[in-house]
Amino acid sequence: MTLQQQIRSNRWRTLLLLLLFVVLIAVILLVVYPFVDLGVLSVVGIALIAYGLFMWFAAAKVVASLAGAHPITRDQHPELWQAVEATAVGAGLPVTPAVYIIEDPAPNAFAAGRDPKHAYVAATTGLLDLMGPRELRAVMAHEIAHVRNRDIRLMALASVLAGMLLILSDILLRVFIFGGGRNSGNNPFALIGVIVALILAPIGAAIQMALSRRREYLADATAAEITGDPEGMARALAVLEADTRQVSHVGRATAHLYIESPLVKGRGLTGSLGGLFQTHPPLEDRIRVLEEAGGFTLDRSFLATVPVQ
Amino acid sequence: MILIIVVVVILLIVWIISIYNRLVRLRVEVQQGWANIDVQLRRRYDLIPNLVETVKGYAEHERGVFQRVTEARTQAIDAKGVAETGAANTLLGQALGGLFAVAENYPDLKASTNFLQLQTELANVEEMLAAARRYYNSAVANYNATQNTVPTNIIKNVGDFSEAEFFEEEDEAVRAAPQVSFQQ
Repeated sequence: MTLQQQIRSNRWRTLLLLLLFVVLIAVILLVVYPFVDLGVLSVVGIALIAYGLFMWFAAAKVVASLAGAHPITRDQHPELWQAVEATAVGAGLPVTPAVYIIEDPAPNAFAAGRDPKHAYVAATTGLLDLMGPRELRAVMAHEIAHVRNRDIRLMALASVLAGMLLILSDILLRVFIFGGGRNSGNNPFALIGVIVALILAPIGAAIQMALSRRREYLADATAAEITGDPEGMARALAVLEADTRQVSHVGRATAHLYIESPLVKGRGLTGSLGGLFQTHPPLEDRIRVLEEAGGFTLDRSFLATVPVQ
Repeated sequence: MILIIVVVVILLIVWIISIYNRLVRLRVEVQQGWANIDVQLRRRYDLIPNLVETVKGYAEHERGVFQRVTEARTQAIDAKGVAETGAANTLLGQALGGLFAVAENYPDLKASTNFLQLQTELANVEEMLAAARRYYNSAVANYNATQNTVPTNIIKNVGDFSEAEFFEEEDEAVRAAPQVSFQQ
């Protein structure tokens, strides 16, 4: 598969997954509709929409403060700035995104913002210490790819939707358990509703994660195209693979934003079932995909000179 | 029956409009790509007089090289169209390569902060120019390929669509700028 084909097929899958997400919310509403008071439902609905709108506009700022990222000027990190500027031009972005720094020795980076004009890319100080110019450009191109492919918009939307879904299932659970609906309490169908809500919430989470994994492959491919250097991207991923340090200040909510999964490996579910809830594909898989698309074999010997920990 | 015909006609119109819009969008991408290249080219042209002056300060008698760079710059600024601009900038890149080759012979020049800064700035501009060119050329490839597929090749006659030119500049230009390593 060429990079172009990969990008196209990834777009379709993403669209499909997002559609599933919307259908999921519709199904929940349809299932619970007979059991819940309309007044309650509309109050919940309005509250949810208000929450969604607020999160939509505040998300980028919230994410920055959660991650401990702060904006910098060109003079503070000229080499990082140049990497961001050059890759933004290569991606054909209308404006160069703002550049943020996270004081953290673990190498990682992410992009956020609801559209390319309100976007920023953030890099940890650890990333700057470990990456050479070539790898730094690859990582920034990966983040810029998230911006250009509108991943940041989609992921912002997905996490807002996931949050809404979580709140909805939470509220419904309480309504069913403590009553408040017109047929509440003894209705056996209420139990079905509870079960449906309980099953659907994790499915929603799994869909969001699958969405995130797809996006990582796509961003790697786009980054390789932007820099014209697939091997540089693979080298950067190899450095991230070799370094085992983890970024602090990360929760489940923001994990999907980073270039490398910032969550401790082996925590929670593992194996194939655990894979369902991973935000990122394994780095070795991502490197292999780049090798196949770019037609090269990564020589890892350069890692000997990189001070990974 | 009439309803079906009406629906089919409407769908057909929507389809044609969407193809037309796609062509417009791809053309805008090409134009934006060219605007990006233009910005970087201007930055390149703006840096050159300073660079020449700086080198002159240390290597006054290398007049031939300075003249070549200055003339190539003027030609590049005056160039019209994609192909001409590309060719003129190839020459400019070669002339700059000559300038940096001369600079090699003057240790004082190579050590001067001003020269080093200009060198870094030029390397930055060259990198951005290469990136802008990559984006522009892929936009052109996309635009041209779309125009040559059925039925777009028929619909394109409705509007002002013609194939765009690739921006080709020999690699000398990129090589002329010294590779500045950012690793400390």
